[in-house]
Amino acid sequence: MLALTVANLKMMARNRHTTLWSLIFPLMLVVVFGLFSNFGGSNPSLAVIDQASTPQSQALVKQLSSISFLSSEPDQQIDDVQSEIESGTLDYLLVIPENFGAGGQTPPTLTYSSNNPERNQLVVGAISNVIVSSKIAESQADDGSLAALVSTEITVQNVSFFDIALLGLVSLGIMTSSIISVAVKISTYRGQSILKRMLVTPLAIWKYFAAEIAAHLLLALVQAAIILAVGVFIFGAQIHGNLAWIFIIVLLGSLVFLNLGFILSAWANTPSAASGMGNIIAMPMLFFAGAFFSTTSLPWILPYVAQALPLTPMLTALREVAIYDAPLWQVWPQLAALGGWIAGTAVVAIKVFRFS
Amino acid sequence: MERAIRVEGLTKRFGAFIAVNDVSFSVKSGEIFGILGPNGAGKTTTLEIVEGLQKPTQGQVNVLGMDIARDSARVKARIGVQLQSSAYYDYLNLREILALIGSFYPKRISPDLLLEQVGLQDKATHRVRQLSGGQQQRFTVAASLVNDPELVILDEPTTGLDPQARRNIWGLIREINQRNVTVVLTTHYMEEAESLCHRLAIMDRGKVVATDTPQNLISNLRSTYTVTIMSLDTLTEDQLLSLNGAVSSVQIQENNTYVIRLSDVPRALDSVLEGIVHNDIRLEHLKVTPVTLEDVFLELTGSELRD
Repeated sequence: MLALTVANLKMMARNRHTTLWSLIFPLMLVVVFGLFSNFGGSNPSLAVIDQASTPQSQALVKQLSSISFLSSEPDQQIDDVQSEIESGTLDYLLVIPENFGAGGQTPPTLTYSSNNPERNQLVVGAISNVIVSSKIAESQADDGSLAALVSTEITVQNVSFFDIALLGLVSLGIMTSSIISVAVKISTYRGQSILKRMLVTPLAIWKYFAAEIAAHLLLALVQAAIILAVGVFIFGAQIHGNLAWIFIIVLLGSLVFLNLGFILSAWANTPSAASGMGNIIAMPMLFFAGAFFSTTSLPWILPYVAQALPLTPMLTALREVAIYDAPLWQVWPQLAALGGWIAGTAVVAIKVFRFS
Repeated sequence: MERAIRVEGLTKRFGAFIAVNDVSFSVKSGEIFGILGPNGAGKTTTLEIVEGLQKPTQGQVNVLGMDIARDSARVKARIGVQLQSSAYYDYLNLREILALIGSFYPKRISPDLLLEQVGLQDKATHRVRQLSGGQQQRFTVAASLVNDPELVILDEPTTGLDPQARRNIWGLIREINQRNVTVVLTTHYMEEAESLCHRLAIMDRGKVVATDTPQNLISNLRSTYTVTIMSLDTLTEDQLLSLNGAVSSVQIQENNTYVIRLSDVPRALDSVLEGIVHNDIRLEHLKVTPVTLEDVFLELTGSELRD
């Protein structure tokens, strides 16, 4: 069995399709996502809540909107805005107090997250300058610009879209290589009677499958490690959680996808049919399970469908562990769901698998 | 003599279709045994049951003294099998494939020795797809020998090969047999069956219609010669059948060519030749050949064996 596992790994390494699907493709996406989130990002956003609504405050709002590198957000409720800063969808919140410009002593408050200290410095400076140069605050604060603006920094977990997307890309790599490459490989072997050739040897059938699965699980670990490493070391993604737990979740997810690959191989009569069927299953699942975009706003029953997909618990568990540093036992519902999928797909795979 | 294979009353049904119909035969240890028949005769199905790949609907199959239904793993460890048109892994070289298949057996021969036996020692690091058709076939024979088997089963080992490559495989099969390995092979080539096999089972439509040595099968035929004539005129079957009562069958081919099989009666050849002269049949060409397995097959099944 060890010989067969080693032979399988050797064949995977020599097969350019495996390398393409399992590594090059997800890595290309890592590069694309990495470039967009690091260099292609939009301007930091600023929301202003004008509680004073005086001519002075309105003049200030107008002047603030002229800061070219800030994009202003429409007025919102203060609770909302604060939670948006915490979740990273809003970058800066400026609250102009009620008595602003009317002889009161309270300066405006700027709230932002601790994520981006260099940018924070820049933005705080720019807004202070606007307030000072507008000379509105001068009459209130005798000690100059220092009191023109009060800064409040919210310490939040540094989670960027890229961190979340990177875990989606790990799942993409594992899912496509497991589902598609297993389905294609097994249907090729069946077409060429290689499976039958195995059956005329005394090799126990379970050993044949165990060797295939072992080789693919190892491939999944290598894939996950490489994709994460590129994301973290080249594009600065943050992984807060325990790596061993991340890999355990990766293995459980791979088992589900390998079983799906075995099932597809039984239905597909040719390798190209297997490849097509694999893509039809893998690609929509990737998006519906929320690998890159939130699925909660989907219409109709689609959010529930998303919840039922095997990729969803894998992604949720990966995010909880990798981003929020949750211990493995905290994601037990997701692990249980994956376990259920593993058992269910294994039963179906054993039932439908055919050697010839 | 010990029996390498004993098949008794073997039947295999796929739904309403009977692929193998109450077949019995046995293979002696140390012989080259051929199963001859057209495509769809049930040869491969019979072998796959012997190899433990398929379960019989009915009947007993005993291989090397073991019941294949009960001891299939032990049987598989001691036999070698070459499947019809089976490929091998694309991404492993010849040596690696043989080492991998060998790892499934308790007893194994080194890949290099096997490659040497089939004359592929200088191709050890090549992939299967880089080999010619004949080399690929020799490689599949080598792969069937990895476990130093007492019995090898070769399913159509020479199908699709050119005559030279075919003879090359025959030589290889004889060499294997000389090392006291029992060989069972299927073929639909008469020449192969006649020159290579010690004994033959002739299969047609799921049944074994005869089992004997090629020589006995031929001499048991109630016919001795075939006379092929090409006539200037078109002749009827009745005209030819009535040639002095010595004709057992007539086959009409293109271009006024007729194949006349003679009955096994004294002086049959003389009488037919006399009849041709007597009936004023104008000949362009005449050929007299002793009967072959082809004639045996025609006699036994009523149809011709074609490639």
